[in-house]
Amino acid sequence: MSRKYYVCTGCALLCDDIEVETDNDVVTTVHAACRKGVARMKGCSNPMECTVGGEKADIDSAISMAATILRDAKNPLIFGHGNSSSEAQKKSIGLAKKIGAYIDDTSSFCQGPIIEAILQDKLKTCTLDDIRHKADVIIFWGADPSNSHPRHLSRYSYFPRGQERQRGWEEDRTAITIDIRRSETADICGDTRFYQIPMGGDAEFMEALVSALSNKVPKTSFDFDKKRILELGNVLKKAKFGVICVGLGLVYSLEQLEPLFTLMNKLNEVSSFHLMPMVGQYNMRGFNQNLFVETGYINRLKFNAETGETEHGNNYSVVEVLRDMSVDAALIIGSDPLSSLPLSIARYLAEIPLITIDPCNNLTATRSTVTIPCALGGVESGGTAVRMDGVEIELKKIIETNNPSDEEILTRITEAM
Amino acid sequence: MGFGQFLAAPEIKLKIVTYRDVFQNAAQESSRFGEEYEKLSAIIKLDPRDISRLSITENDTVIVKNSYGRVVVTAQRSGYEDAHPGIAYMVNSPWSNALVPDKTSGTGVPKFKDFEATAQSSKGGKVTGIREIF
Ligand code: SF4
Repeated sequence: MSRKYYVCTGCALLCDDIEVETDNDVVTTVHAACRKGVARMKGCSNPMECTVGGEKADIDSAISMAATILRDAKNPLIFGHGNSSSEAQKKSIGLAKKIGAYIDDTSSFCQGPIIEAILQDKLKTCTLDDIRHKADVIIFWGADPSNSHPRHLSRYSYFPRGQERQRGWEEDRTAITIDIRRSETADICGDTRFYQIPMGGDAEFMEALVSALSNKVPKTSFDFDKKRILELGNVLKKAKFGVICVGLGLVYSLEQLEPLFTLMNKLNEVSSFHLMPMVGQYNMRGFNQNLFVETGYINRLKFNAETGETEHGNNYSVVEVLRDMSVDAALIIGSDPLSSLPLSIARYLAEIPLITIDPCNNLTATRSTVTIPCALGGVESGGTAVRMDGVEIELKKIIETNNPSDEEILTRITEAM
Repeated sequence: MGFGQFLAAPEIKLKIVTYRDVFQNAAQESSRFGEEYEKLSAIIKLDPRDISRLSITENDTVIVKNSYGRVVVTAQRSGYEDAHPGIAYMVNSPWSNALVPDKTSGTGVPKFKDFEATAQSSKGGKVTGIREIF
């Protein structure tokens, strides 16, 4: 009997080697996934209910109420998409276009700038499989995959025997952590390969590294040991296939991407370096790519319902439009912004009519006028998603559910408009 | 009721750095409203010296607040070898997000990982529940 492998949607690694055991449409055992993946694939213990105005409702009334809310809104927002299939994301973009909505996703306040630079060919990148087979120098910068992407090191970046890395981590790979705190990933890299920098010191450390790579004395205002920076420079110079895995720690610390561009250019003069965005939610990159294909932008948009034209920029980001109180209703899909946004910004969101589509009950759902439960992507429904490296992965359905998929719900709301 | 009840608890200023934790993340997948998720989220990790400055012992609850929000969370030792007085760590969660400033300098990106707050003993106060954050 051939073995069946499924895809875990616990993070944007989208591990595709997962085996499961099921009993009566319940996933009972999950093999190969990490702790987070097992929890994701077994499903949550508090599924969302279909409700309108806090009362249980049937799906038809919920869809019709959702359509009414969006129709009555002057400036609706559609937000989320990190945990939605590409098919649902495309429907979401279509709906935003039809009703002239603001549309944004979680990348707006995390990996967005990095993904944008990659899609615009401003940063050299590679696939996770390239890392597995070729990478010899791997830098985790402001990233702690041991916690955020638990199988990153074991499947791709450090431990595996790849085609050109047969001796794995013991001899063939050097892993380095640059971070403001000693993370668990830093512990794996070891003391000599851990560079602890002060908060906000990333840009300066990059400049110092560029000096080291240019055979100049690397200076920092925080007096980082010059000898250690020079040593690091030498390791990077010798890399045959280098990778910088960019985590949120680095993204939040850089006010602009210039220092990263300068470092990457320098690294590619002296050796060969690639950049991997450590995307969190399983299909955030999919949303960025889908919107990019449609509009040329990856996030932070407002559609004009009449002309189909878009306005774009920082002022259209979910954070700014909520802070300005310029939206008057919101459809939230595949995200829990009341948990993930700063409370100072989320407070306003909690006051306007909300529609939440998700498999599980969450904080946003508790403040929503309409909640519509959807099938859990990769478990109860199939579809496609884009891994952190841009590779498209097919999600397979494992068990049956009565809940429609996120795509079907959006199709029905669009039709009801 | 002890005499300490009537003394003002010392308040200290902290820089807070947020991080991810796979155990907390797995608990979130199971239930946002579960006990496990609260237990692994509503915590602040401190330098032992800051624990003394607060006149508390490990696992006491503290009020962490700034002008953006206020939460009661459990104080723990960070366990880091290197001393880090004045710097505290919170796992990324609705509890840490309650304290993140809304300022973005027009970039659309708040400072999720690096902000300031004060901490003070809650004198036995209960940890803020997830539904009470709003
Ligand atoms: S690393 Fe990510 S995709 Fe892989 S099993 Fe864990 S949660 Fe799932």
